[in-house]
Amino acid sequence: MMTVRNDDDISHINRFKEGDPSAFEAIVLKYQDKIYSLCRHMLGNAHDAEDAAQEVFLKAYQALPRFQPDASLYTWLYRIAANTCLDHLRKPVFESLFGPSGEGEGLVHDRASEAPSPERLYQSKQTDRALQEGLGKLSPKLRAIIILKEIEGLSYEEIADSLAISMGTVKSRIARAREELQKVMKKFREQNPQ
Amino acid sequence: MSCSKSNLVSPYLDKEMGADETIAFEAHARGCSRCAQKLEELRALHSAFSAVQSHQAPYGFSTRVLARAAELEKKKAPWYFAPLFVRFAEAAVLLVVVTLGILAGNAMTNGVPGRMAVNMTASLSLDLFEAAPPGSLGGAYLALMEAGNEK
Ligand SMILES: [Zn+2]
Repeated sequence: MMTVRNDDDISHINRFKEGDPSAFEAIVLKYQDKIYSLCRHMLGNAHDAEDAAQEVFLKAYQALPRFQPDASLYTWLYRIAANTCLDHLRKPVFESLFGPSGEGEGLVHDRASEAPSPERLYQSKQTDRALQEGLGKLSPKLRAIIILKEIEGLSYEEIADSLAISMGTVKSRIARAREELQKVMKKFREQNPQ
Repeated sequence: MSCSKSNLVSPYLDKEMGADETIAFEAHARGCSRCAQKLEELRALHSAFSAVQSHQAPYGFSTRVLARAAELEKKKAPWYFAPLFVRFAEAAVLLVVVTLGILAGNAMTNGVPGRMAVNMTASLSLDLFEAAPPGSLGGAYLALMEAGNEK
């Protein structure tokens, strides 16, 4: 199992176990964007993402007293988040996939740091739409793994830890997810020529 | 037809290979048009992800989480500690008792409409519950209603 020892996290966890209420707040503030973003990409809309992300932190709050200090806090949080999102997606009434952004959602920013030209911006918006479309069509398990790899930038080992699967499964799922994404995006571009 | 080594393209791109494996794959890809093409495609896909917007947690998110965590703590207090289904069970029993009371009142006062109306009013009056001591069925009912209203 991957262990990324993070002194900040260890200190937060120890303080939490000693009953310091500000420790949990520090954990939430540190990881809220990462967890929310994962939920937002997994569930496709702001409302469900907020619900799921809140649930993740409440589950963590209840389970933290039993958290093993040698484990990595962030892959542990990702694991809770991935499972929570998979649970949400299993609900038969789940219809809100990949709807519009909700009001009050935080700043949405492009990951490219330089200011893009209008043409480039349009292209990247088209690409973004094609990718969102592609992600929405992937099975939840493939979606989770490609988000962790391509958007969150986790290593295979961290992904294996986060999703509680073997390295072999990580490899084969990432390859399959990319293949399916390519197919869906190709189709999307054919249907939505620039 | 695809190359038997095409499954190495993804781990190569992700730098998840050992040094020897990497060198061997690069040598292979130079002579294999399928793997070379697949590598190009996956590189393009990878760079497409740089255009994906990442999201920040909405304004007030941490406050809402902390408030809910505080609620969890409050529930550890003796009265609230009762699981939800127990509270529902109490409410269900209460409902049956009230209904039976109304039916019984109805039967007893059959033919005396004026009296029945008074009984009905008394049965449904919330004054009964307000007088209930905390922790009683009435208290449970009121708390349940309050919890419902908060939603
Ligand atoms: Zn090849």
